[in-house]
Amino acid sequence: MTLLDLETNFRRSPSSDGVVQTQGRRNPDVPRRRWESLAVFAVFTGLYVWIGEWLVQGAHVVSFVTLDQLNRTLMIWHNSPPKLSAVGFNYPPLSTLLMSPLTIVAPWARSLVIVPLVSAPFAAYLMVSVNTLMRRVAVPGLLRAGVLVGLGCNPLFAFYASDGASDLVALSLTVAAVSCLLTWYLTADIRFVLLSGLTFAVAGLAGYQSLVWFAVSFVGVSVVLSRNGAREEEIEGTSVGLAAPAVYALALWVGFSLLLTHRPFGWIPRFPSDGISFGATVTDTGRLVLDGAPLAIVVLPALVVVGLARRDSLALWCAALVAGAIIAPGASSLLHLTASPLAMRDALPILLFAIVGALWLARSLAGSRLTVVGLLIVALVASVPWTYSQMRTFPRQNLESAFTSALSSGASQEGSRTKNGEVVGIDTEKAMAGWIRAHVHGVDQILTDNAQTYAVMLLTGDPGLFLDRVDKSDGPWMRVADAPAHTVRYLLLSRHNTQDLLTQTYPAAANGTDPSLPVAFADARYTLVRVPADYVRPVTGTPDQTTSGGTR
Amino acid sequence: MALPPDLRPHTEDPTPRRPDPQRQFPGESARDATSRLAMTALLMDNGLITAAQLEFALEEYRAVGDPLCDILVAHGMLTEDLRVAVLCQSYGLQQVSLVDDELDPAIIALLPWETSLAWHALPVARDADGVVLLAVARPLHPNALADIEDLLGCRAEQLLANRVELDRVLQAINAERLTELSINNLRDTAPELSGHIVSTPAQRGVMAFGVALVVVCALIWPVATMIAVIGVASAIYLLVSAYKFSLTLRALGTHLELDITDEHIAMLDEHLLPMYTILVPLYREGRVVRHLVEGLGELNYPRTRLDIKLLCEADDEETIAAIAELDLPPQFHTVVVPASLPKTKPKACNYGLMLASGMFCVIYDAEDRPEPNQLKKAVIAFSRMPENVICVQAKLNHFNQHQNILTACFANEYAMHFDLVLPAMAAAGSPIPLGGTSNHFLTEALRGLGAWDPYNVTEDADLGLRLHRGGFRTAMIDSTTLEEANSEVGNWIRQRSRWNKGYIQTWLVHMRHPFALLGQIGPRGFASLNLTLGSTFVLLMNPIFWFLTTLYAFTRMHLIQQVFPGVVFYIASALLFVGNFIFLFLNVAGGLHRGDFGLTRNALLSPLYWGLMSWAAWKGFIQLFTNPFYWEKTEHGLDDPNHPPTVRMRPTRSTLPEVAMDDLLWGEREEASA
Repeated sequence: MTLLDLETNFRRSPSSDGVVQTQGRRNPDVPRRRWESLAVFAVFTGLYVWIGEWLVQGAHVVSFVTLDQLNRTLMIWHNSPPKLSAVGFNYPPLSTLLMSPLTIVAPWARSLVIVPLVSAPFAAYLMVSVNTLMRRVAVPGLLRAGVLVGLGCNPLFAFYASDGASDLVALSLTVAAVSCLLTWYLTADIRFVLLSGLTFAVAGLAGYQSLVWFAVSFVGVSVVLSRNGAREEEIEGTSVGLAAPAVYALALWVGFSLLLTHRPFGWIPRFPSDGISFGATVTDTGRLVLDGAPLAIVVLPALVVVGLARRDSLALWCAALVAGAIIAPGASSLLHLTASPLAMRDALPILLFAIVGALWLARSLAGSRLTVVGLLIVALVASVPWTYSQMRTFPRQNLESAFTSALSSGASQEGSRTKNGEVVGIDTEKAMAGWIRAHVHGVDQILTDNAQTYAVMLLTGDPGLFLDRVDKSDGPWMRVADAPAHTVRYLLLSRHNTQDLLTQTYPAAANGTDPSLPVAFADARYTLVRVPADYVRPVTGTPDQTTSGGTR
Repeated sequence: MALPPDLRPHTEDPTPRRPDPQRQFPGESARDATSRLAMTALLMDNGLITAAQLEFALEEYRAVGDPLCDILVAHGMLTEDLRVAVLCQSYGLQQVSLVDDELDPAIIALLPWETSLAWHALPVARDADGVVLLAVARPLHPNALADIEDLLGCRAEQLLANRVELDRVLQAINAERLTELSINNLRDTAPELSGHIVSTPAQRGVMAFGVALVVVCALIWPVATMIAVIGVASAIYLLVSAYKFSLTLRALGTHLELDITDEHIAMLDEHLLPMYTILVPLYREGRVVRHLVEGLGELNYPRTRLDIKLLCEADDEETIAAIAELDLPPQFHTVVVPASLPKTKPKACNYGLMLASGMFCVIYDAEDRPEPNQLKKAVIAFSRMPENVICVQAKLNHFNQHQNILTACFANEYAMHFDLVLPAMAAAGSPIPLGGTSNHFLTEALRGLGAWDPYNVTEDADLGLRLHRGGFRTAMIDSTTLEEANSEVGNWIRQRSRWNKGYIQTWLVHMRHPFALLGQIGPRGFASLNLTLGSTFVLLMNPIFWFLTTLYAFTRMHLIQQVFPGVVFYIASALLFVGNFIFLFLNVAGGLHRGDFGLTRNALLSPLYWGLMSWAAWKGFIQLFTNPFYWEKTEHGLDDPNHPPTVRMRPTRSTLPEVAMDDLLWGEREEASA
């Protein structure tokens, strides 16, 4: 008996005690193929690491968000003293913590060879999840390879898989959690609910947007059980099993936030309104789907039709997942939860859930399975040039256009500008870090606002050199900023970044024009000034302490 | 593989025709048939049984093949005295009463006591011709009689005795010897494995040195010493947690217990089932005896093949009287353990084990409700396991798990332990600390191991480890015994403090010679043993860490920050936030894995339950120094009668495996029968 022989393994007639799932034993499932999974993992990890190394080292296309997170993890290990609190509340905690093993060896962190490793293994794990799901819906080997190649070569996916984007961490775990629930539906084996709950909890703390799909899945599980005749007790117990990890994780994070910042929900990002209307949001959402994940335009209605026509709960559930992925970016924008509303990377979840939905369609329309998978491959392959061209022109994006320029020219993008007007490259950070490494030694020698100068700190490989806002929290840091003499020997300031608290305090020094703070080294983005032993800061205004973001 | 034709079970025929009782039954020898017919006539002619009783007995006779009278007595259809009278008439033997006679010790001593117990044969007198009169429970086989005569050095004449009386007399005349053995057997034969001393001088020396070292270092380098102590404690914590997590994850992904299906049980030929001893230690359990007997009566095993030892303490008149009041059939043996110290459950079990006549034996507690097929499952399991498996552990669950929050948390803990942790340990070949009940043994192998340590208050865990050290293994079967979950906090604390004390005691016993232990069970077994027993130390450490965390959260005390530097802090944080969650989640998983959906929400209250566990751990730890061998009695019968049991026995699978039972089972059974 295989998975395909069964509509589902839920007991058609619940047992005398009303239990419709199976516990304590295994139902029919596809046999494990560790070597196949390992091969998929190895191939895609290798591919994305290779692309990533070229992007970072050759093309200088580096995400500063990643550098900020890496610097935080470097501080976990190599700060003086090591600081777990460097994780902070700016990013979902696990998105940072999960990359912390990469910075145990400081020289590796300094060289940035680890950047692709932030995302590549998770992207490869996502591929393994998709491949296993395909095996569960009986997609033949050749077609599985076609789907994997189609997805793997999608330029949007490949870029985020290679460039150290922590988005892939949460996404891969979310897809794995959803895949577990699909397997649960096929096998009725309750342990998959437990595994999904655990995975959702990790995904939720690696990317808050995962909680949307968790909520959809939570409802989906209850509906499936209810439709299979489960009693209230079984529905409640199963739901608790699914939800307990995510609820615990969130409760823990709220507790932490309350304890450390006295703002239990301070970790929920709030950004100033960008003035986008509801109508514009709908239009932009449509463009996002069309440009980034056109597959969803076909898959979503197909899932709804199949779900309603065949009373297929899972098809409707998958439709809800895709719809959630489409609605979430716009909703985040309207609720001011994101700094970069409706950015092109928001198309990634839509694309991935559309693929999951298409695979479920293939299983649901068993007679046309090969046709559906064939069409999926065609759609994926066709979307490669389409997505590539849209990445060059899509108005709201990070480094997508720099990536396509690097691909087309093969040249370094150092100094070029993104669609958002930001300068690409890390040479200035490298130069400043190089000077510091050569000339500054000891602990807490340089006062700096790590939220703005993280890239320099990371590239020195020694956060212990810096007296930053993480070391002793903002209060003591501000006191030193007011009277740095005798405490630190240097101030590291960003030249054009108005968010830099130290630059706000010493604007002239940041420009290199404060005669009492002589410049030790300066480049286009940063200024390092010496603090004379007799330096006394003239009384001026107090800087704005609300900045703590790590983006540039 | 197909079964041999002559062993094909009768259940293969869906509509078996009732055999004519006047003819020879299939598989019955002509001599047996003649004997049965004579017996039947005797019983019916004298109006001793009804036709319906005879029909019932014949059905069982056909299935099991045991003497008709034994079947009738076992089912309470015939009194033991009538059985003796009928047998005497049938075999032309004389009857002997052992109620009032004072027996001559010199005569009794003619037969070695082991032989007496084995054959239930007791020399009671010698006649003028020098023939020894031998009280027996049933007519002896000529070969057995010949063996006995060899030992006596003269001819013996059999006198049939009431089995209950004979049993009582055999116990009485061997009481001193059995008491001595039940207390000192292990201590004399393997003193290094006996818990009669809590710790050896070497262990005390090491501990004293360690404490002194810590104190001296704390005086010289207070912060560094605290960091080191906390670091070691955190490392232990981390290892224990990681080990348990890995085990449960493994079990969650697979079905590791030995599965025995309805078909396997139906295929068993009951003629070949061996005698099974059930040891039930009782102390002040008078009020649950009736339930106990009813529960044991539901076991699907021929009653004539059961040897049920109700083990009572001599000073427990209440329980002894309650048993006597029930006037139980002779498969129930009231074993009165003479007063002696230590007065512990393992001593009573040892006493009962020496009187056991079963090829297999099992322990049940007074309040246990084993799955009816459990004995048969154990027999099948033993036949399918490698020879070194001498113990089979069934799972435990509670019948009153919904009584209150405490019982629900207890049930969740058991679900995790018996459905996830132990199966994974068994599958990994790790030493398993046995549960206190529903462990089935090969009787001779258990005796060979020295049985239970009477000085150990978790004798079950100790035996599981000793068994592993002896090169034997334990397997898990998918059969559940329901027992009573402690529903009162005080009672729960007492029970749990004993368990924790016993775990530390057991750890001290087995770590007397750590290198020898390492050599015996290998690095993996050594690590598993220490990590398993180390859970008690984790419970001891919990309140300290909770206190430090709370203190720090409210005061931000610098000293606490100092003693949790870098890596130590990370490990401690991970354990606090991730480790605690994992254990909470595993409780949820255990309940769901078992199908106890109603318990899941209570699993979320696990942290409160851990508080109680730590309280009990500290009580047990302190008691280890103040009263190491004291047995904290768990009171049973506290379940709420107004709260009906809601737990279901998980049904046996009804799916035949791809490979049928192999012939080995039947071959072994034939040997056993022979």
